[in-house]
Amino acid sequence: MSQAPEALRTEVRAWLQNNIPRDWRAAMTGTDQDAFVRAQREWFGKLVKAGYATPHWPEGWPGGGRSLAEQKIIYEEVARADAPRLILFFVALYHAACTLIEWGTDEQKRAHLPGILDGKLWCQGFSEPNAGSDLAAVRTRAELRGDRYVINGQKIWSTLAQHADYCLLLVRTDTAGPPQAGLTYLLLDMRSKGVSVRPIAQITGDDEFSEIFLDDVEVPVSDRVGGEGQGWAVAQSTLASERGLTLVELSHRMRYALNRITGLMRARGVAGDAALRRDLGRLAPKVDAACALADQYLLKRIENTEAPGDASIVKLHYARTLRDFTALGLRIAGLQGQYREPFIRGGGMETGNWPFDFMNSYNWTIAGGSDEIQRNIIAERMLGMPREPKDWRL
Amino acid sequence: MNAELSELRDSARQVLAAEGLAAPEDKTWPLALDLGWLLVAVPEAQGGLGQGLAGACAFHAEMGRSLCAAPYLPAMLAMEAAIHAGREDWIERLGASGFVTAPLVDPTLTITDGGIVAGMASAVPSADRASHVLLGSEAGDCVALVALQQAGIDARHRETWDTTRRLFDLRFDNVAGDPSLVLARGNDAHVLSRRLATHRDFALAADAVGGAATALEMTVEYLKTRRQFGRPLALFQALKHRCADLKARIAAAEALLADSLVRVGTEVDSERAEALGKAAKSFAVSAYAAVAEEMLQLHGGIGMTAEHACHLFLKRALLDEQLGRCTSYELDVADTLLGAG
Repeated sequence: MSQAPEALRTEVRAWLQNNIPRDWRAAMTGTDQDAFVRAQREWFGKLVKAGYATPHWPEGWPGGGRSLAEQKIIYEEVARADAPRLILFFVALYHAACTLIEWGTDEQKRAHLPGILDGKLWCQGFSEPNAGSDLAAVRTRAELRGDRYVINGQKIWSTLAQHADYCLLLVRTDTAGPPQAGLTYLLLDMRSKGVSVRPIAQITGDDEFSEIFLDDVEVPVSDRVGGEGQGWAVAQSTLASERGLTLVELSHRMRYALNRITGLMRARGVAGDAALRRDLGRLAPKVDAACALADQYLLKRIENTEAPGDASIVKLHYARTLRDFTALGLRIAGLQGQYREPFIRGGGMETGNWPFDFMNSYNWTIAGGSDEIQRNIIAERMLGMPREPKDWRL
Repeated sequence: MNAELSELRDSARQVLAAEGLAAPEDKTWPLALDLGWLLVAVPEAQGGLGQGLAGACAFHAEMGRSLCAAPYLPAMLAMEAAIHAGREDWIERLGASGFVTAPLVDPTLTITDGGIVAGMASAVPSADRASHVLLGSEAGDCVALVALQQAGIDARHRETWDTTRRLFDLRFDNVAGDPSLVLARGNDAHVLSRRLATHRDFALAADAVGGAATALEMTVEYLKTRRQFGRPLALFQALKHRCADLKARIAAAEALLADSLVRVGTEVDSERAEALGKAAKSFAVSAYAAVAEEMLQLHGGIGMTAEHACHLFLKRALLDEQLGRCTSYELDVADTLLGAG
């Protein structure tokens, strides 16, 4: 590795050491959404100023124009430092920004990119009650009336939509032809008349996701991204926008978090338990493999050698390993783990509240294309096994 | 993998594919010699390809991929020992025509200061074709080559379920070694022993990921052609998902192996390299066994027949699990993370 990347690493490491909110885990334990949002905004402000929030943006933006290799270094250091994740801003910084940069008009970019840096929040309106893994089945209708679309329908699983200023909205403008061809991509102002948001109580006690109800909501045609009927293609670039960085960060975080398991074993007085030691010994190389997969996947993206299905393998392996990780913690925690404790809001995937972490791990086996979808992709696109005929219906 | 190495690897793959699965030793060993595969890790200054352990592993993976019967692994261990003991004479001899074997598990034997060898070495491939065997004392204080054609050595072929390797037990009854064939003593011997054990673990990991890859390819191919209930088996999602899980498991083992090789770099004799090799090996051989088990199940009845290749993979995978340092690695990992239990 040349000198420059190591210099960046040193710089980021030092900055994080001096700037991570002190005792942020304690501060976010048992807190409410408002306190969480305040803390996230404060952390976001610091990162934007330092240029570490937008290394993936083009040159000219704060810290922008960083190579993917440099971005990887920043994420590795964020994981190493156990810094808070910027989950409140993730959709804005990646999904919204990258979609606008790739597909947006100059006017759209001018209207929204600076706002993101000022803290405008975005949410994603893709999934629906009947279009989850099968995203092309989106039914929310948009009808063109003059220079506006009128929208009716319902979106679901929209992360932190209750705080969002804008929404990346995938709607159906045409019902004829193949389902992908009738989709259109809009930018929705969440303050528009007819938008209502209802947070969903989750099994973890958190309410990270929301439902969005759209009742005769009007969106100007000028807020359409790409052409009418191009929504599927635009949505694909939204989903590809983080380019594997998230799983680099998360798998490295999981490796550091192995010390939560060992700490728990010591605290519970079971560090000598042969069965638990064996389970730990089985888990650790799996975690190492998750890091290796994520790192090598990113390398493929840097070198443009990614093959179909590569991303699915990274996600599937990570998700299964996270399940194993949290299940082991849960088992070591024993009866004590069954007594309800307040959770850490925005604390990541390994907070040490083991029942919370275990239940939260389903996020990764279900959201963003469930394990089953990933297996279909691997089987069909990597192994070349046949797809089921489209006309199979019961 | 650099361009030169991947080219060499591809040509080895082609050559071995032309020989067919589990091609016999007397056909594949001369190929390995003639085509210079033993020189892959030899430094360029000594006439080799200078590709190090990672280069060696690329070839070990091809051996696994084709279920190759040539005793490439023990020969590469002997070469590694010659390289790092600075024995140019042996590098030349091993690269040209000589075959020196080595045990694939740690031997239980002593080598006295006077060079007297006593004890036992198990799992020594193709010992009947070797002029010498590479031995390390159990105490780790001596590594030496010992000529096999001499009194006091009892070599016994032990028939294994895996027919792609021929393993021997060697018993040494106070055999007088040749002092000029001692490669290392004292601390040097400890370091060399660790290097050899590490190479062996990485080689087994590579053999496993290579074998697992072929096993899955053949299984998928079979599922695509075999029809039941009026459709190819590959159309059943239950079977597709099992194949996808196997693919992910192999990919994870490959990624861990590649990552570990990068981490090891040229410091193959470090303690860290030893730990990384153990983990990569354990992870890979258990993946191989899982793939081979599923291969047989997914082939159904044909997989139970001796004429089909399923059992060859399964048997090699099961043997791989028992080679190298197979003492419970999970507990070693726990020791590292938690301190000794």
